[in-house]
Amino acid sequence: MTHIRPRSPNIQSYRPQLTSVLSIANRITGVVLSLGGVGLVVWLVAAALGPEPFSVVQGFFASWPGQIVLFGFTFAFFLHLCGGIRHLVWDTVHGFELASIYASGWAVVAASIVLTAATWIASIFMGA
Amino acid sequence: MIIHSSDQVSRARFLKRFPVPKNFGVPAESRIVQGRTWPAPEGARRVKVFKIYRYDPERGTNPRIDTFHVDLDDCGPMVLDALIWIKNKVDSTLTFRRSCREGVCGSCAMNMDGTNWLACTRFISDLDAPAVIYPLANMRIIKDLVPDLTHVFAQYEMIEPWLHVKTPDPEKERLQSAEERKQLDGYYECILCFCCTSGCPSHWWNGNRFLGPATLLQAWRWLTDSRDEGSEERLDRLEDPFRLYRCHTILNCTRTCPKGLNPGKAIAEEKKAILERRS
Amino acid sequence: MNRPRMRSPFGSAIWLGSAKTGVEHWWAERVSAVALVPLTIWFLAAIIFHTRSDHAGFVAWLREFPTTILIILLLIALFHHAALGLQVIVEDYVHSDLKFAVIVGVRLTCFAAAVAGILAALQIALAS
Ligand code: SF4
Ligand code: SF4
Ligand code: FES
Repeated sequence: MTHIRPRSPNIQSYRPQLTSVLSIANRITGVVLSLGGVGLVVWLVAAALGPEPFSVVQGFFASWPGQIVLFGFTFAFFLHLCGGIRHLVWDTVHGFELASIYASGWAVVAASIVLTAATWIASIFMGA
Repeated sequence: MIIHSSDQVSRARFLKRFPVPKNFGVPAESRIVQGRTWPAPEGARRVKVFKIYRYDPERGTNPRIDTFHVDLDDCGPMVLDALIWIKNKVDSTLTFRRSCREGVCGSCAMNMDGTNWLACTRFISDLDAPAVIYPLANMRIIKDLVPDLTHVFAQYEMIEPWLHVKTPDPEKERLQSAEERKQLDGYYECILCFCCTSGCPSHWWNGNRFLGPATLLQAWRWLTDSRDEGSEERLDRLEDPFRLYRCHTILNCTRTCPKGLNPGKAIAEEKKAILERRS
Repeated sequence: MNRPRMRSPFGSAIWLGSAKTGVEHWWAERVSAVALVPLTIWFLAAIIFHTRSDHAGFVAWLREFPTTILIILLLIALFHHAALGLQVIVEDYVHSDLKFAVIVGVRLTCFAAAVAGILAALQIALAS
């Protein structure tokens, strides 16, 4: 016999559950926010260089694609923030009952949506 | 929906599987092909369709998915009953492990409708139509639903799952207070079915180095045993970026444990103990 | 037959042995996370408050002493946290020797971004 034993499927067949979906979401938002950090540096450097480079960067953020990017960053930020706090609580060995895991998971989703909406409403209010 | 215990089957689900291509990162020998459809039993009035992963090492061909029709009026209520019914009535070559048929031996762990559980304690009525049965996820397959557990048992062996003592044996047994005995609750009940390890994405990507939830839960079972005197070496053995810290608290393990245990919590205890000994 | 290597299962499982370290990385990720909670919330609130500001307005804000300090702390915590988190992600998914090259790249990029951001903030604060 020369055949290698096959490996049974994992991600191809395993059902997505709140546990794994929020975990991968925390990961993706972490990567997104790292890019956001680079955006922050670009913005700071532009501000340091003077009004003209700064207005180019601000112009991008004010444009439609820029606003969509900022909106994405806002949601990613709140999801990562709330998910991160959930992780910090777990690290103290609290909240491991399945009911708590699910309750905190849905709370993270709800809080991220509400906080993102609140941020944008506040920002539109400030801009008006 | 809030899930209160790991035996709850969630009816509300927004994704059946992760949106990745079917053969995403799958090596040639593991690609699953279409299998055969076995005829429905004649005269059966309540029939359920089962799609089951098959692999025959003697044929040297790829794994396939066979379709069976089970007569529910002629068969017991559990998924294991359906498998036994198929083996008796349809295809005697269908191969799976089972022994106790009451959830204490851990042999019949498999993946049903995308989650790991014991076939003998999952109701057929809890499964979708058609029901989809795979072996435990991410294991090398010996035949059909029988996974090769050599590696995960070698990882279990690594934590030296027995009492370590340094002081000479007392005259009688080593005593433990009722309070201390209570510390083992939730850990000693593990039946080593490896549902949790096989459902852990971190173990999928780094199973060669990450010990996985089953072994880490067992590690805590010995660390928290008041009679054990080997905790120093035990913690040394665990403290490793891969062995322990590949756990990212995804908690698929706790979600799936058919004994309702909490490997995720055991791992958090270990991380806390390791932090405690240096600050 | 099915085991192309002759190393025993136990030998394969134990292979490199334990690093007897790893807690520092994990702990630093938590500490930087804790720092980021107030810092990022402060930053977001400040940015919303300045929705309508132009270059002069932003520079005036950035030149305030507390702003400079907080921005620099934010940059340090953010890129420290990003470097630690991204390294874990790379270790999870990259299994060739490329892993080390990618980790070096990630770390150096995070370091460079943090330095650039800090210097920009100082330049704005100290320019006369
Ligand atoms: S912890 Fe639960 S799922 Fe994991 S091996 Fe033990 S009994 Fe099975
Ligand atoms: S909590 Fe840890 S061990 Fe459990 S599934 Fe997640 S990564 Fe795996
Ligand atoms: S047959 Fe023993 S656990 Fe299912």
